[in-house]
Amino acid sequence: MAYATTAGHGEHDEHHPTGWRRWVYSTNHKDIGTMYIILSLIAAILGGVMSWLIRLELAQPGIEFIENTQFYNVLVTAHGFLMVFFVVMPAMIGGFGNWFVPLMIGAPDMAFPRMNNISFWLTAAGMALLVTSAFVGEGPGTGWTVYPPLSSIAYHPGAAVDFGILALHLAGAGSILGAINLIVTIFNMRAPGMTIHRMPLFCWAILVTAFLLLLAVPVLAGALTMLLTDRNFGTTFYVVAGGGDPLLWQHLFWFFGHPEVYIIILPAFGIISQIISTFSKKPVFGYLGMAYAMAAIGFVGFIVWAHHMYTSGIGANARAYFTVATMIIAVPTGIKIFSWLATMWGGSIEFKAPMMFAIGFLWLFVIGGVTGVVLANAGIDFVLHDTYYVVAHFHYVMAIAAIFAMFGGYYYWIGKMSGRQYSEKLAHIQFWIFFIGVNVLFFPQHFLGLNGMPRRIPDFPDAYAGWNMVSSVGAAITMVGTLMFYYIIWHTHRHGKTAEANPWGEGATTLEWTVPSPAPFHTHEELPVISGGDHGHGPAHGGLKPAE
Amino acid sequence: MKAVQANAGRTKNRAGATILFGIVAGMVGLSFASVPLYRMFCQVTGYAGTPKTENVAASSGVIDHTVTVQFDANVNGDLPWQFKPTQRGIEVRLGEETLAYYTAANVSDQPVVGTATFNVAPDAAAQYFSKLDCFCFTEQRLEPGQEVSMPVLFYVDPAMADDIDARDIRKITLSYTFYRMDGDGKNEPNTAGIASKGNSGGQS
Repeated sequence: MAYATTAGHGEHDEHHPTGWRRWVYSTNHKDIGTMYIILSLIAAILGGVMSWLIRLELAQPGIEFIENTQFYNVLVTAHGFLMVFFVVMPAMIGGFGNWFVPLMIGAPDMAFPRMNNISFWLTAAGMALLVTSAFVGEGPGTGWTVYPPLSSIAYHPGAAVDFGILALHLAGAGSILGAINLIVTIFNMRAPGMTIHRMPLFCWAILVTAFLLLLAVPVLAGALTMLLTDRNFGTTFYVVAGGGDPLLWQHLFWFFGHPEVYIIILPAFGIISQIISTFSKKPVFGYLGMAYAMAAIGFVGFIVWAHHMYTSGIGANARAYFTVATMIIAVPTGIKIFSWLATMWGGSIEFKAPMMFAIGFLWLFVIGGVTGVVLANAGIDFVLHDTYYVVAHFHYVMAIAAIFAMFGGYYYWIGKMSGRQYSEKLAHIQFWIFFIGVNVLFFPQHFLGLNGMPRRIPDFPDAYAGWNMVSSVGAAITMVGTLMFYYIIWHTHRHGKTAEANPWGEGATTLEWTVPSPAPFHTHEELPVISGGDHGHGPAHGGLKPAE
Repeated sequence: MKAVQANAGRTKNRAGATILFGIVAGMVGLSFASVPLYRMFCQVTGYAGTPKTENVAASSGVIDHTVTVQFDANVNGDLPWQFKPTQRGIEVRLGEETLAYYTAANVSDQPVVGTATFNVAPDAAAQYFSKLDCFCFTEQRLEPGQEVSMPVLFYVDPAMADDIDARDIRKITLSYTFYRMDGDGKNEPNTAGIASKGNSGGQS
């Protein structure tokens, strides 16, 4: 009966613009979400190809393929920027956030539909500038951290770094506008009865993420502006000779950079919570604890930044503080892990593809989290700083874990977004190829790092040859898994079975499953009314009543 | 009725967005304000080896507790100067106002303006190291071939003897690094880099 009120919405479809205007001028949260996801798919291929080139060069000792080592630096830099700013953030926040926050809270659209449009196009323009920067001069070879003095005019005299800075400015402005839009939407546009403590955890995740964006990205913008004027207008924010200090950049960058990694992983937490609850056919264990654990992680994320700077010469007391503060993050993170496990415990679990990716996420996130606790110790970090151990750590905990959440989210929601269901068999094969691939790729990097292999160097001593070859074989397997995902996208849209409004049955209780598949152009024009205290998990628990 | 509600919703949204834009502007402002805020923080706490230079009162008394102050001198490669301490170290009593000298000489054939950054090690001693006057407070201009003596007047605060973290310190190192300040002596050092690097290379 919940579907009856919304079925009629399809008739509004004829009002929307068609052709290129539908997309370029779009103010519809679903179309903009789709564009974000497509942008992310394009950026993922670019960033992926770069990582395969890196692993190709690193397969054997010696400079084998990439003779221009500055080009190697550019690959490392662009891979990081693309993956962080133009793959994960657009897909999770812009893509799934746009699509499902309004659907889940019962809002007809975002609070500022036109601002939504400009957010997307700023992000797209930022990506275009970033790709351009690789072809300007010798390209930006600074790493994604852009530390001066390497990024100063003396060591990167071309305009490439300036292009990169402006690319991040544009993408940052897009993120900030998107964050404002999401916060206002979540605060002001929830359907009657959808109190903040009944919101699905995905909306909670996006809300916390949006606040992190709001507080962190402006600091990056300020730091980048200082770098830009240092490079071009003779200011000396990061130049000791003029009374500045390159450490200022590190502090500002990581004040942004550490919350940034939570900006990447918090939406993943949200997606994983929805998936695990759905396929365990139980409400999430400890809903309030889960919601406020995310808020706590967001808050603590702002006061641990210097654990990226243990070796920069900060004092012993500062190192002690940042070690302790960093360890504290394990508490709310542990709350989340154990609540997910408790949600599964005793549940009637169905191992559909989204659930497989959710479990894969738990595996990767726990391994990355454990190595994170190791690295949090300033004393140990002195040994492991800038080694492959760090590379393995952050790829496990945030990069690949986030990718697993994105794959899971895609399989979970593609029926709702496209009206067609993926092939369960293909998705399972893709899961196993990708899961084995990334573990073979990144697990040996722990050994390389413990043995002292430095990051960001295209060559290494022969002693590291064995595990590097294994790692590169893992990259090849991962490549097969990635390309197969693109095939599955094509296969779903061409051959996928028609998706039902709710393909997942009784476990799927959030509001997006009450509208038809694919979700009509306009939804929730008649606001749904939610009652009962079961955290946005509506009809299955008798909580949701359609509006009359 | 519906229109009224829609308008109310829009006003609420606008208000929300205005507040959030304000937060964004505030964070951008804070990132720039971090420079003077950090400087103030270091001045007050002596963090990262920052000696006391602002509002330093004359020493209130001398106590019988001595430390050795050592002097260190560095010159940035762009500055065609020789710069060294006149004495390697002085033994001082806490609270005793002491005058020490450095010698600087311009070895190029052009007038050059320079300014010195300074630091104290170990960090724990910095907040007690009080500079009453110093050549490093102003820019220094040397004519071609000119050699001058550069004084620094300081004392070590007797409160150091009561600080559990600093009372065992026996040696304090005062370090300077001279940098070139080009042109009119405004804050335009050689950071715009390569072009001016070429200039100074030609002179030295």
